[in-house]
Amino acid sequence: MTSPASRWRDRLRLPSLVVLLVVLVVWEAVARRYGAYVMPSPGAVLRGLVEVVATGDVWKHAGASLYRIAIGFGAALVLAVLMGLASFLWRPARIAVADVVTVLNSTSVFVWIVVSLIWFGLTNMAPIFTTFMITLPVVASNVVEGVASVDRRLLEMGQVYRLSGWEKFRSIVIPSTIPHLVAGMKVGFGLALKVSVVAEIFGVTSGIGYIMNYSREILATQMVFVWALVMVAIMLVIDKLLFESLSRRVERWR
Amino acid sequence: MKLEVRDVSKRYAIPVLDGVSLQAAKGEFVCLLGPNGCGKTTLLRILGGLEAPSAGEVRFDDRPVSYDGASDLHVGVVFQEDRLLPWLTLADNVALVLRAQGRDRAARRATARRYLRFVGLEGFEDYYPNRVSGGMRQRAAIARALAIDPDLLLMDEPFGSLDAQNRRIMQSEVKRIWAETGKTIVFVTHAIEEAVSIGTTLVMMSARPSRVRELIRNDGGRDRHALVDHLNQSIMEEVLRQQSRTVRGS
Repeated sequence: MTSPASRWRDRLRLPSLVVLLVVLVVWEAVARRYGAYVMPSPGAVLRGLVEVVATGDVWKHAGASLYRIAIGFGAALVLAVLMGLASFLWRPARIAVADVVTVLNSTSVFVWIVVSLIWFGLTNMAPIFTTFMITLPVVASNVVEGVASVDRRLLEMGQVYRLSGWEKFRSIVIPSTIPHLVAGMKVGFGLALKVSVVAEIFGVTSGIGYIMNYSREILATQMVFVWALVMVAIMLVIDKLLFESLSRRVERWR
Repeated sequence: MKLEVRDVSKRYAIPVLDGVSLQAAKGEFVCLLGPNGCGKTTLLRILGGLEAPSAGEVRFDDRPVSYDGASDLHVGVVFQEDRLLPWLTLADNVALVLRAQGRDRAARRATARRYLRFVGLEGFEDYYPNRVSGGMRQRAAIARALAIDPDLLLMDEPFGSLDAQNRRIMQSEVKRIWAETGKTIVFVTHAIEEAVSIGTTLVMMSARPSRVRELIRNDGGRDRHALVDHLNQSIMEEVLRQQSRTVRGS
């Protein structure tokens, strides 16, 4: 089953390549039938991709988006950890945090976009705040779940050996929560990228969301596709490079 | 360290312990025997200060055990499960419990290594618990309990999850450790042969709500086989009594 040949076949992901080929053929056919405004051809998109990389536009707009994500998502991460800490230390906080998370989870992205436009106007803060509000409940619910799943028997072991409260927190609670935190970060980051781009349609003059909307306005449909591909690439690269190695690191004892 | 249990009772929804009294001198190896669910583990938890009795008291060298966390007694516990932190190496697991004694890092590591060597884990100090066998994890848990130089060592069916062969190996290990350290040990088990072969004081508990049915000094004066038969008969009687109570109670 796992001969070298079949391993190579797995690595090449032949079934996916077949699907890709079919998509490209259908895409090209649709492009020829309906024209470049509705559906630019694969070749045009490829040329556009080469162009944004060559001119450096890709770094400018991806950089702007990632900068906003870093701030909004980073702040959500910090607050989520504090919420987890509070729910570990204090039972009433656990109940309140659980309910706040539920309410935030049921709130639409669009609510935060509109509200942040009212509060912050056409500034950088609108996408940052939206990203913050949307990713906070996702990460927080993971952290809270992690804190709740700490093995009571290990805490009791800490009690037997008279570890201080801080020592128990540091040696038992944090390590058992970190895998949940990393899982939450992974989902949260994916969401942050998708959400911040939507928020960038309004009010800012850089970022992937802005440039996609701008491309639509100047009827450069192929660039909309180019930037969509850039987004997918960012997601894949960060998932592979950052989160997979992070997961491996925090789970190396398994 | 003289251990004295006076009239200890404990009730949750139902009474579990009902006036348990026993004494053991320093350096004794006490085996707690009894039917499953008779409260052996509960008694052990009371001895270790993890739970307060509903009535009665436990004294060590005539000082009562306190349950507010202020006791200065050192008790090492080996639980049914190893309760090692999976994210720490064996050496770090042992070193962790030495923090409470305020020693510096190098001293903690040296002590941890010494006790791991003592329980036969030399060369495995830097392994994570999930990388070694269940028997080795229990050895590490014993090393952790010994490392704090406990006044009392409590063991709650520590080999229950091991296979027969490992179980025999660990029994003789514990016997050796007891002989070399002279610790007072309270050992919960339901294996009678195990108790007769290692215990100096055998405590047979009755069915729930349990008392001490019989306390036997096992100083080698009695015939082993006769003792095993006698205890087997006692435990069968108590198991049947507990079953009939459970049936009537439900």
